[in-house]
Amino acid sequence: MTGLAIDDAAWASAWRVRSPADKLLLSLGLVVCALVLPAWPGSVLVGLTAVVLALGPARVPARTFGRAVRLPLAFILVSAVTAVVEVGGDGIGWAPDAAARAGSLIGHALAGSAAVLLLATTTPMSDLLPALQRLRVPAAVVEVASVTYRLLFVLLTSLTTIREAQAARMGYASVRGSYRSAGALTAAVLTRSWDRARRLQDGLAGRGMDVGLQVLPEARPSSRRFVAATVAGLAVLLAVGVAA
Amino acid sequence: MHIAEGFLPPAHAIGWTVAAAPFVVHGARAVVREVREHPESTLLLGAAGAFTFVLSAIKLPSVTGSSSHPTGTGVGAILFRPPVMALLGTVVLLFQAMLLAHGGLTTLGANAFSMAVVGPWAGYGAYRLTRRLGGGLLGGVFAGMALADLATYVTTALQLALAFPDAESGFAGAAGKFLGVFAVTQVPLAIGEGLLGVLLFRVLTTSARPELERLGVLARNPRDTPTEERR
Repeated sequence: MTGLAIDDAAWASAWRVRSPADKLLLSLGLVVCALVLPAWPGSVLVGLTAVVLALGPARVPARTFGRAVRLPLAFILVSAVTAVVEVGGDGIGWAPDAAARAGSLIGHALAGSAAVLLLATTTPMSDLLPALQRLRVPAAVVEVASVTYRLLFVLLTSLTTIREAQAARMGYASVRGSYRSAGALTAAVLTRSWDRARRLQDGLAGRGMDVGLQVLPEARPSSRRFVAATVAGLAVLLAVGVAA
Repeated sequence: MHIAEGFLPPAHAIGWTVAAAPFVVHGARAVVREVREHPESTLLLGAAGAFTFVLSAIKLPSVTGSSSHPTGTGVGAILFRPPVMALLGTVVLLFQAMLLAHGGLTTLGANAFSMAVVGPWAGYGAYRLTRRLGGGLLGGVFAGMALADLATYVTTALQLALAFPDAESGFAGAAGKFLGVFAVTQVPLAIGEGLLGVLLFRVLTTSARPELERLGVLARNPRDTPTEERR
């Protein structure tokens, strides 16, 4: 267990063995539907589709999915309410059709978030990064991103351990102490990241690395049935969303 | 503060992606060149990206009672320069969207523009200016990190105001609304992040002096710059 619930879910998901390209098509299709269709019934249908697919066939734990959807909720609610409040010469009031506009904003954002989460909770980043390379992102950039993905869990573990040790020594008992501890924690994590990078580099240089970190990607053939069902499903969503 | 997935209308999402693209491509070119000249940079840049991501897991006690986390683009801009941060910041935003459900894919362009382009450049500018005016390393770090945070928040608020202008007072009114609502959390956070930066660099100047000299943050000969020796 790595400490990032969404990443854990992605590795354990029943859809982990599916082709990343298939899952990208499905999720990005849903994201686009969530963006362009009117909130009623488009957003509701997209959101329901994403949730049902994630909890059903992909077998993502409902707790993980529910928590992840809740994370951006504070931003969505505050911004949506702010957007429909009217500031004019006679003070503050609700804009005309405020409830409908706020509802539409929240609907779009929740449906979009659920569609992205469907991809995030079924596909580990290490499966998605090779797809970036096929999108003509330079290999050097994809490699930096892969190292970032691998190192961030190491650093998160260091961070948790150091913070626990600091807390056990009353490091966060006062505001002053909290700042001092947070500063020391940041410095420790930064110097550790440099140390890790240098040790990895020494190890790789010793093995003669000179053409980058090449690994064989696991072969995950695309499923024709999955792609056909995705295209048909998205077409139905678009038709229903536009017609309504 | 990241704009959530699906929150921006399609035209705005595309527009901000187009606006951020040249900076990110420029950063990618800088990274490709750096990696070709020094293959070992791949790991250092990856470590920098991981550090920026992990910074969002560090909690800062905030004056308003709640605790918030630093954005980390200021420290990245000071250590690794803004062009590299444009790329690393975008990679980190992608990871935050996919691993933390923070931000989104269609809003990636808008978030990259505020957090990976405007924030680092504003922070780096403030850092250089403060140092040139004799503010010393720690003064520069405080200004750089606080301003990177503030500039990111102001840009995000303006992006939201552009997308959702006020029905009566238009863009200006909406800008006031969004700036006001998020100031409650973001202004204390900017000051907190500046303080964190000062504490961080105080530790680094004593324990990681060679790395800071290699990155060009500190001069090679410490006797030339006595203010930086302050502890």
